[in-house]
Amino acid sequence: MLKIKDLHVQVGGTEIIKGLTLEIKPGETHAIMGLNGAGKSTLANTIAGRDDYTVTEGTITYQGKNLLDFEPHERVGEGIFLGFQYPVEIPGVSNLNFMRTALNGVRKYNGLEAMTAADFMKLVRAKAKALDMNPDMLKRFVNVGFSGGEKKRNEMLQMALLDPKLAVLDETDSGLDIDALRIVSEGINAQRRDDTSILLITHYQRLLDYVQPDFVHIMIDGKIVKSGGKELAIELEEKGYASVV
Amino acid sequence: MNEQVISGYKSQSLGLHGTIPGADQLREKAFSNFEAQGFPTKKSEDWRYSDMRQFHKQAYGLVDHAAKPELPDMLGETAARFVFINGRYSEDLSDLGDLWQAISIRPLANHFMSNEYRVNELITGTDAVSCLNTAMLRDGLVLSVPAGVEIDDPIEIVHVMSDASNQAAHVRHVVELGEYAAVSVIERFIGDDSAYWTNSVLQARVTEGAKLRHIRVQEDGANAVHTAKSYINLDGGSEYICTNVALGGKMSRFDAEVRILVDGAKAIVNGVALAGSGQSHDMHVHISHIAPHSSSDQVFRTVADSHGKTSFQGKITVAKDAQRTLADQSFKALIFDKTAEANAKPELEILADDVKCSHGATVGQLDDKAIFYLTSRGIDPETARQMLVAAFTAEALEKIEFDDIKEALSGRIATWMLTRTATPKA
Repeated sequence: MLKIKDLHVQVGGTEIIKGLTLEIKPGETHAIMGLNGAGKSTLANTIAGRDDYTVTEGTITYQGKNLLDFEPHERVGEGIFLGFQYPVEIPGVSNLNFMRTALNGVRKYNGLEAMTAADFMKLVRAKAKALDMNPDMLKRFVNVGFSGGEKKRNEMLQMALLDPKLAVLDETDSGLDIDALRIVSEGINAQRRDDTSILLITHYQRLLDYVQPDFVHIMIDGKIVKSGGKELAIELEEKGYASVV
Repeated sequence: MNEQVISGYKSQSLGLHGTIPGADQLREKAFSNFEAQGFPTKKSEDWRYSDMRQFHKQAYGLVDHAAKPELPDMLGETAARFVFINGRYSEDLSDLGDLWQAISIRPLANHFMSNEYRVNELITGTDAVSCLNTAMLRDGLVLSVPAGVEIDDPIEIVHVMSDASNQAAHVRHVVELGEYAAVSVIERFIGDDSAYWTNSVLQARVTEGAKLRHIRVQEDGANAVHTAKSYINLDGGSEYICTNVALGGKMSRFDAEVRILVDGAKAIVNGVALAGSGQSHDMHVHISHIAPHSSSDQVFRTVADSHGKTSFQGKITVAKDAQRTLADQSFKALIFDKTAEANAKPELEILADDVKCSHGATVGQLDDKAIFYLTSRGIDPETARQMLVAAFTAEALEKIEFDDIKEALSGRIATWMLTRTATPKA
């Protein structure tokens, strides 16, 4: 699904990712853990194609294609989804209009006809219900006045609608209370299939109790320094970064 | 100001002698006033962002040929349509619907033929450009809505300029609302590529409890100069709700002078301006709170492409006796690159002590975080920018109560986004 080889990334002239290698196969869920400033979010944004994140060395191959050749919106069309750590508020744009434009953008990219308003409403209502979302949130402006938990649920709703092959979820668990964490986790688990992959980026082991990863990687100073199974996350939680690495 | 230009206008004004009974003296007086002032220069505070003189190498003539240009589709459901071609009322092209049964609406020339004594009510306007409009008084509409009559669908007044290079149209409309009457007027301005000048004035008296909705859609031709002034007098508990949309012309200026004369009136003056390369849109609002317990609100949103310019001057004055005034003003401008320009000049002059007034002005670029968020969901960058501009301008269109018209105007904004030249930084 995704092969990252010796990746170096600069943001504003400063190198943040310094030679990162990672392979994710279809059906796998990986977790990257690390302290603030390790470069976890930079990795997520680079995969999504944010334009001030410059790849200076290395490659990212997605489904056999050079991912760096694709614009951000094209990457979504190819099946990549980034769940934001801080979802952006967009006053004046309704959540429904946003999601319908997004879904039809992806459909168009894949040569499919636009979904009608009626079909879209049916779909979005069903997905929102599964996430226990208040239907009013669909009519409101994108993320405006949403609580932290509501924003993350809204991210999960977008993921469910776009049905990506590779979901990169950046600190999706931050700012969630225990009920919201459970619901968001169910949303992530629903996205786990034999043909999809998930990359979780997180600070804490907490989320991994609900979404059990196949692999855990520890990232320090722009590199993966240790990889293992889900037991690595537990060890990290108990002993701290200093003694594990 | 060039002597030749002044004398050109003088002979034009004199040439209109005898066309409307009782108007000759009025024109003469207005012309002397204009002559004394000359065209405003950038030194004049009210005109610091628009230079009319650069377009005035010679006097614009008065057109008199009967063009038959194509008319635009209606913006939405309307009760009636009145058409002015090159500044003259066209009976053939107008469609009065069944409006005549409810209200009195007549071409200005005819109206003053039978009500000569009322001509002197047209002296509104003391600035040079309005004075020139009066000095050229020839055509317009007089629209009187009797007390208690409410007209649901808007009345559309279309001003078309065709094959009118170096010609001008000085149209004057008079709107009178009886007590508790309500009407909506859409003024539209369109034209071809000829280098014409449209100089329009609308004056309205909104009596007790009455409501005037006013929508202006300026889509003049690419080489046109557009100046317009609205003089609005509000009586007790009345409402004036205006939305001005400036899209066309090389240089355009809209000037609203609203006076709240009696307690409890409400004035809303909103606007959107989109300036493409080489265009300048200037909006000038003065809301004068003379009586207490009144409120006013101004929301302006402008967008300037490469080498485009938008300007806003919003003035609120609160007289000493106008206690309990509520007045808000918000101006936000987007500029697409370094060559785009946005000017903002809020002015508050408050003499009463028990008032609540606020104002805010910001100039910025499209939010690149928002663009990345939208594109990271599969929306292409062009559509993302369109969505953000639509959202940005929506607030200033909010007070339009007709959904079809609001939609038509949103469509204009989307089209403008497709035809502009700069790629806003994302």
